[in-house]
Amino acid sequence: MISLASYLGISMVLFVTGLTVMIARKNIVAILLGIELILNAAALNFVAYSRFVTNNLDGHIFSLFIIVVAAAEAAVGLAIVIRFFQIKETIHVDEATQLRN
Amino acid sequence: MEYTIGSIAPIFLSPVIAFVINAFFGRKLPRSGDWLACLSVFISFIFSARIFSDFVFGQYATDFYIHKTFTWFDLSYGTTIWNVDMGIYLDNMAAVMLLMVSGVAFLIHVFSTWYMEHDAKHGKFFTFLPLFTSAMLGLVLSDNLFSLFIFWEIMGFCSYSLIGIYVEKEKAGDASIKAFMTTRVGDVFLLLGIVALWMTLGSVNYVDIYAAIAEGKFAGQTVLGVSLATFAGLCIFLGGMGKSAQFPLHVWLPDAMMGPTPGSALIHAATMVAAGVYLSLRMYPLMVLGDLTWFIAVIGAITAFMAATIALVQTDIKAVLAFSTISQLGYMMIGVGVGSYNAAFMHLITHAVFKACLFLSAGSVIHAVHEQEMPKMGGLRKYLPYTFVAMLFCTLAISGIPFFSGFVSKDRILGDALYYGFMAGQNPLLAIVPILGFAGAGLTAFYMFRMIFMTFFGENRAHKHVDHGHGHAAAHDDHGHGDIHHEHLDFRSNVPLLILTLFTLGFWYAGTMTGQSWGKVFGAKTEWFKVLVEAPKVEKFIGLPREPFTGVDSRVKTEFPKAHYEHQTGYAGPNPDEHKLHTAHVIGMWASIFIAFSGVFLAFAMYVKHWIKPWAETFSGITTLLKNRYYFDNFYVDIIIKKGLLGLNRGLAYIDMGIYDRYIVDGWAAVNRVLYKSSKWFDNVIIDAIGVDGTGVAVNLFNLVLRIVQSGKIQFYFIVLITVLASYIWTLNV
Repeated sequence: MISLASYLGISMVLFVTGLTVMIARKNIVAILLGIELILNAAALNFVAYSRFVTNNLDGHIFSLFIIVVAAAEAAVGLAIVIRFFQIKETIHVDEATQLRN
Repeated sequence: MEYTIGSIAPIFLSPVIAFVINAFFGRKLPRSGDWLACLSVFISFIFSARIFSDFVFGQYATDFYIHKTFTWFDLSYGTTIWNVDMGIYLDNMAAVMLLMVSGVAFLIHVFSTWYMEHDAKHGKFFTFLPLFTSAMLGLVLSDNLFSLFIFWEIMGFCSYSLIGIYVEKEKAGDASIKAFMTTRVGDVFLLLGIVALWMTLGSVNYVDIYAAIAEGKFAGQTVLGVSLATFAGLCIFLGGMGKSAQFPLHVWLPDAMMGPTPGSALIHAATMVAAGVYLSLRMYPLMVLGDLTWFIAVIGAITAFMAATIALVQTDIKAVLAFSTISQLGYMMIGVGVGSYNAAFMHLITHAVFKACLFLSAGSVIHAVHEQEMPKMGGLRKYLPYTFVAMLFCTLAISGIPFFSGFVSKDRILGDALYYGFMAGQNPLLAIVPILGFAGAGLTAFYMFRMIFMTFFGENRAHKHVDHGHGHAAAHDDHGHGDIHHEHLDFRSNVPLLILTLFTLGFWYAGTMTGQSWGKVFGAKTEWFKVLVEAPKVEKFIGLPREPFTGVDSRVKTEFPKAHYEHQTGYAGPNPDEHKLHTAHVIGMWASIFIAFSGVFLAFAMYVKHWIKPWAETFSGITTLLKNRYYFDNFYVDIIIKKGLLGLNRGLAYIDMGIYDRYIVDGWAAVNRVLYKSSKWFDNVIIDAIGVDGTGVAVNLFNLVLRIVQSGKIQFYFIVLITVLASYIWTLNV
């Protein structure tokens, strides 16, 4: 039987990977991917705790919500990225300086 | 007849409306709205005549009156009810007065439309004339001293405006200020008297005052150490002295002739000067209670005699009339003082009629010869026949010639004065009252006929071209060159004079040709004047209910009383012996007839036949004294004003500028300067340097730090976020 620690380990790996991608990469699409990874890590944590600690369906429902919100967020984020690319012809995150000053 | 607001208010309101319209739209109206003024006063006259006929011929009793009130404002607090009432009080005296004021004023208005026709001040004149009339009518209608005071002051203002109507002349301006300030001296006392009554009685209503007198509410009340009745009565009489130009305060009236002549007629005859006597008559029970009648009689006697002597040497036709007005007002005050209530009021009425006529005639003369100095006139009776007739009749009336109105009224005053001075057991010093009165009567006959003889008889001393009737249009065109032309009967210039002349005949007032008990021309009812007008019997006023202003009158009317002249008694006298009184009247009548005729004869001898040299040449010292009017003006200006008031002024100026200004105002400025400096320091250092600039510096410092943090690199934010979260979680665990 797979233990809770294994799930948390996978979740931690996913979270750290996402965080690293978010901080290290300059590509906006990559940053969005990192965010997705972090959200998935959180969803995995919810499901794991739900299964092993509380033993009810609360965590499941919560993770379903996270998936839905992540999908919506990705759609909005990708739309912004496309518009950004149309204007700047790049998706380098340091070029997004319109709000400065 | 019923009396409602609709039948009384128009008397007072219609001239007010004319005033308002003329004041604001007079320039746009044809003839500056003089027809409107005339019309409004005529409406007053119609309503007054209705009341008069109702009171006099409607067979009412002597003590019949109408009193209607409404609440002007309400000063009630808690359970104390204190309404300030206004209203109207109409008795026989007020009814006669209303008819006289509105009638004379109407004729003066009509005359003015002719007299002022080509005058630049036409519009202004016809603005103030109806206001003046309405103020006098309102004063007569007033039921309390307070509203009387309001109208009193409106009249003061109107007289100020009418006297000073030619503001571009310095003398006119000075005269108007003098009239205003001199009457103001009396007005202050009047207000003081009203306040004293208000404080102690809580009301200044005539009816309340009469009732308070009857109930003995005045007993034991004192103001400033004197009894209330004496204090209030004296103050009110001083107010009347100012308005009616009595002895020490008479100086304004001769100067008041600076105004247009019809204006003088209104001021000197019908309205303003009558107000003082009217007030004294209204407050007669108070004067009796305050034991002031001897004072009134003495002041009246001094005024009557003094003004008559001054009038002897005046050469200005209007100055003669002005001083004769003062003198006649003195007779009215004698009448009030000696308890001859009815005769004093009759003299007020008869004087108003003949003095208005005299002033209008003088206006007619001045209009014709463009001259006011009598030595430059003479022989005018050929050119101004109608004016001559009017003026002659009025002069006969004022001189006290039998069959004329002045004889009827003045003779009765003098008869009562004779009784008062010699037979009533008074202080023997009060014999001065009839002595001065009779002397003044002789002088009156003399100076009035002197005026007539100098103006209308003898040769024309004007040395002007006289146009004998042909080429009238040309004469009119040459008006300014001083041509005298024959006067024609004109509806506006002569007819008012002739109407007034008609009423200088004595029987209108007395019912008898002589004013005495023989020679009756009509029945007893024609003696309406002395029967219907009598001093208020105060005990009848106790506990009478008030009627609402808008309601219909419901008092019981009684039959015309069958009274007799012989029953005419003094109000205050201790049951005067009627036989003695009658004797006094008979002696007085013959004495005044003799004195009047000798005055006329003296004038005739001096100014027509030149048997005697005019005494201006014989007694030059006295003449100088009289020409300078006993130096009253000099006394007031040089001594009271220059020595007294200017010194006071300087003292006050020192207090104002030396003490108040220097120490208090400048001291306050110094305090303010220190406050200003400290607040400036506070502002500059604390608020500006530390507060405002300090904020900027602090923001700058924050800026330096935040600029590093706010790099705009999103991944840097992530690092910070994670670091903070991690360190937070780490802290929780530790």
